[in-house]
Amino acid sequence: MRLSRILVAASGIGVDEEAIKLACDLAKKSKAEVYVVYVIEVKRSLPLDAVIESEIEKAEKVLTRAEDIAADRDYEVETDLIQAREAGPAIVDEAMERDVDLILMGLSYKKRFGAFSLGRAIPHVLEEAPCRVLLLRETKS
Amino acid sequence: MRTGLQFAINESNKRLAVRNNWQPKLGDKFVRRSRIKAHPLRRVLGIPGLFSAGYGNVGSSIYYALGIVTLVAMGGTPIALAVAGLFFIFTALTYAEGTAMFPEAGGSASFARHGFNDWVGFISGWALMLSYIVTIAISAFVIPPYLGHFWPLLKESATISTAVSMGIIFFLMVINVIGVRETSFVNVAAAVFDLLVQILIIALGLLVIFNFDVLVNNITFYWPSLENLILGIALAAIAYTGVETMSQMAEETKRPAIRVPRALILMIIIVLILFGGVSTVGLSAMTPQELATNWATDPVAGIAFSISSAITPQEIASKFASQTEIVIILTWIFNGLRSLLPGLVAVLAASILFIATNAGLMGISRLAFSLGRYQLIPPALGRVHHRFKTPYISIILFAGVALAILIPGFFAPGVFLELGALYAFGSLFSFFLAHAAIINLRVRNPDLPRPFKLGGNIKFKQRELPITAILGLIGTAVIWMVVIFTQPYSRWVGLSWMAIGLALYLLFRWRRRLPLGQTASKPASPLWKQK
Repeated sequence: MRLSRILVAASGIGVDEEAIKLACDLAKKSKAEVYVVYVIEVKRSLPLDAVIESEIEKAEKVLTRAEDIAADRDYEVETDLIQAREAGPAIVDEAMERDVDLILMGLSYKKRFGAFSLGRAIPHVLEEAPCRVLLLRETKS
Repeated sequence: MRTGLQFAINESNKRLAVRNNWQPKLGDKFVRRSRIKAHPLRRVLGIPGLFSAGYGNVGSSIYYALGIVTLVAMGGTPIALAVAGLFFIFTALTYAEGTAMFPEAGGSASFARHGFNDWVGFISGWALMLSYIVTIAISAFVIPPYLGHFWPLLKESATISTAVSMGIIFFLMVINVIGVRETSFVNVAAAVFDLLVQILIIALGLLVIFNFDVLVNNITFYWPSLENLILGIALAAIAYTGVETMSQMAEETKRPAIRVPRALILMIIIVLILFGGVSTVGLSAMTPQELATNWATDPVAGIAFSISSAITPQEIASKFASQTEIVIILTWIFNGLRSLLPGLVAVLAASILFIATNAGLMGISRLAFSLGRYQLIPPALGRVHHRFKTPYISIILFAGVALAILIPGFFAPGVFLELGALYAFGSLFSFFLAHAAIINLRVRNPDLPRPFKLGGNIKFKQRELPITAILGLIGTAVIWMVVIFTQPYSRWVGLSWMAIGLALYLLFRWRRRLPLGQTASKPASPLWKQK
């Protein structure tokens, strides 16, 4: 599989770090570009361009950490912060716009109503993304 | 980082950068700097999403507009709806030109700010807020009567009905403050289902109860006075609330300059067909007197009840087919429709109205946030809760006002009509300012890019003035004056609302040492990502 562009959808969970490392390792072989995006989901009672400082601050920390992790791997990533109503469509849209070959998403082990849950964004990306999607689930413990 | 991105700086982000101890120095990559100051926003709405958002409001207003208009216009109801529909077309066209020029939240407040200044922008926005509040109140107010199909006390007892309505608003206020997730899929699905049921009602009504002679008789025998007819036209404006909602959603629409006008035109066509159909069927099903007394708050339930009573399954089935097997199947289908229709309408109406109440609450908080950004109202109103990430102050404040205007419902039976007139006060005033702003922009700034430019212009001093906007301006002004002169409740509540708003605006601007009329500040231009 030859990759030229990889999109990592970071969400501030622990497994993001491994996802970025994995993306850098995958990208190194073919010198692919790596984009890391963080989506701030804005509630519908606010305009889409509302500045929610606490969320931006959190996103900045996540993306800065992503850059640091990539730098440790001796790789350079491009980071972006997006505001959208829902993360899933925003990630797919971003992937299409950047014409990426792979979307890499971290996933925490979560149960909802007793059953394992993928959340809302991942099923949408799995269903709608035009490219390959790689999920990296954190360890169960 | 990205080329072509607009350089947008806003004060909050600047502060954030300082707090993060970020300092540009030689050798730094500017990746983070671009990111922190210019994060892009994602436009995702297409015509279906935009249409469903607008239709969500219009579709819900069908469930009460017919009753309100019939209360005053009686036999003249179809004419009142038709004339209001004409003004609706003019207004929607004005909004199409304005929204294509300025695809941002704010609707008529935004046009007025661009067309005149902050002062007029505030007046328009404040009037718009009133109509949003009344939409919240009135949508919640008519939910219990529809649910009265299952528990009649909800319709018969004013106390229970009003208490339940207030409970609904309170509940929505709480969940909006907490910030429960809502997907656009629910809105689209509800809009589609609602549209199908309304088409079914019209089709069944035309098939089962439509009678041209009865309709003409009901119109002519119950023809209203001229004053009531004009008031009916004013009240009929409540049927066309979606135009403003659609404009508010422009900032989330892909290629808004093209798609918003198209969605608006699509909505004009569908809404006019639906209202024409529902009012025709309604006045064939019962007399205006009956509609105004027994079914004023739940007119569509009345129509569904009449259709259900008039359905004779076997007789209708044999009209469509002669083969016994097909007649049996059709009889079974019509039997099912006869027993299910009233309950289906009750559940659907309650659901749509519930969604509309919620949409009103979200719409007003978004509008408050937008006005706050331009320093038209204190930005504190748009303050976001640190934990829930919602504009809790505006949600609580405006839900509180909506609750307050429902209080007369406990002891004044005419509050339903008063709410309708109060809505007309706010919406017509903001529509009037929208028309005025579009005309003024044609005069002051004729070379401004207009992706959607209204046709049918008259030349005046080298300027092209759109006839539809001029007619809309005159029409809304005349009808608004009628509301002011004939409706004391709307006059005093509406004018008090405007007076309070103006006092707040003057105080706020004076304390901030901001000019009253001129644009005080320009917020950072959002970076819209567009394919």
